Amino acid sequence: MFALRGIAVSLTFFVLLYCALSALVAVAWRAFKVLHAPERSIAGLLFVLRILPLAASVAITFAFVVPSFQLLEPRSSDIDEGMGAIPLAMGICALLLIGWGCFRVIAAQAKTARLVTRWLEGAQPLDVVANSQLDAETEVQMGVSFDAQRFAQGVAFRSKGEAPPLLLVGVGKPRVLVSESTVALLSHDELRIALKHEFAHMKSRDNLKKLICRFCPFPGMAKLESAWSQAAELAADDAAVSNLDDAVDLAAALVKLSRLLPIEAAPICAVGFVTGSISARVARLLAWNEGSKVQPRQDRPWYLIPIALVSVSFLCVTYAPALALTHELTEWLVR
Amino acid sequence: MIKAFSIFGSGSRPQLGPFERLVLEEVWSQGSATVRELLADGKIRQAYTTVMTTVDRLYKKGLLDRVAEGKAFRYTPRYTPEELQRDAALESIRQLLGSGDVASLPLSYLVEALSAHDAQLLDELQFLVERKRRELHSRKTQNREKKPDADGKEQR
Repeated sequence: MFALRGIAVSLTFFVLLYCALSALVAVAWRAFKVLHAPERSIAGLLFVLRILPLAASVAITFAFVVPSFQLLEPRSSDIDEGMGAIPLAMGICALLLIGWGCFRVIAAQAKTARLVTRWLEGAQPLDVVANSQLDAETEVQMGVSFDAQRFAQGVAFRSKGEAPPLLLVGVGKPRVLVSESTVALLSHDELRIALKHEFAHMKSRDNLKKLICRFCPFPGMAKLESAWSQAAELAADDAAVSNLDDAVDLAAALVKLSRLLPIEAAPICAVGFVTGSISARVARLLAWNEGSKVQPRQDRPWYLIPIALVSVSFLCVTYAPALALTHELTEWLVR
Repeated sequence: MIKAFSIFGSGSRPQLGPFERLVLEEVWSQGSATVRELLADGKIRQAYTTVMTTVDRLYKKGLLDRVAEGKAFRYTPRYTPEELQRDAALESIRQLLGSGDVASLPLSYLVEALSAHDAQLLDELQFLVERKRRELHSRKTQNREKKPDADGKEQR
């Protein structure tokens, strides 16, 4: 009974915190739209905001609620507080929420796997010889080791039939699918830069991010997800383009592929090349100049060390009072 | 909201007159205003009573809110222009979908119109891309022409 009550209380706290934080994020994220920062940073920030409610709720529940219940709740069999109707109802809500999230993820994965299997029937690896220049450039400029062998082993495929014109699909083993009509329509340079755009999505694991968003549904988050998706597209454009010729080639590829109507919609775990506001992306690419190129940021984790030390010290000092406070709060919640 | 916007009417029967639109736009631009403030801007050149009657009518149509301020009222817009535009579009689409005997027909008109609009937009974008390409090409050609000249001068 003690364990069950502990689980119910923890789930209650989790679901309340998750809903409150989600509602706050759904309202407050627009304040970050006005930030003037590289699109890569904006995309990162929007994604962090999107998963913040889930991450913070899980972290707080496991760091404070579970230990406070374990340590401070009397275990004596004389004091039987009972489960309580509120923790029971809220616990069921939390389980339903988690179950719904799991179902959405599994369904999205299953649909993606089904479609990829179909689209890969009769598909050929993209011509390695014709794209050898692409491999070398991609490796050097993006720090990704897409050497010819790996390319041939199944990253990019020339698909036949009903696959969308160009998309990155899959989470665990992402693949770039290029339709026959795309290969026929785009020039060599346009195809090269369009593939670099998709590789940028692969590098930033955008399909995995989409799946994570799928796991934590909440009403009112669609606009935030749409803004993140647009920022991720612009960030991939930035990563792919290194000069004005590239920018014009990418804009041309976007316009050409926009005319191809996909026979089937792309699954959740996929990033299509023609996504977001095409006119905004083309306008941005045509206005490209040397100053637009964002240099890859050098990660300097040393400045995080003092912040981490201060945080850990603060947590050590305040942990016991925080546990007591959390316990009081949970008592009040379930009373 | 739909009720508020239905006053715009549909197609050829606009129910918000040009002066009402002008006053509404002026209130939008000022954020909130009294009749005197609307006149002080100089964009509206009508009698005080005419403007007062118009804002009162807009208030009764549900497009403006008002609070008493001394002997006058301060008017604020109830909806943003974007909200009104969005709901006008929704209302038009609803009317379009409900207009035909065969339900799928109006939807096909809509798809047709959207496709035509998309194609036009893509044509415009294609034109911009081609123009930029030509610019780049001519710039490169000019640079190539300048380079041999400069090399020749250096040799001399």
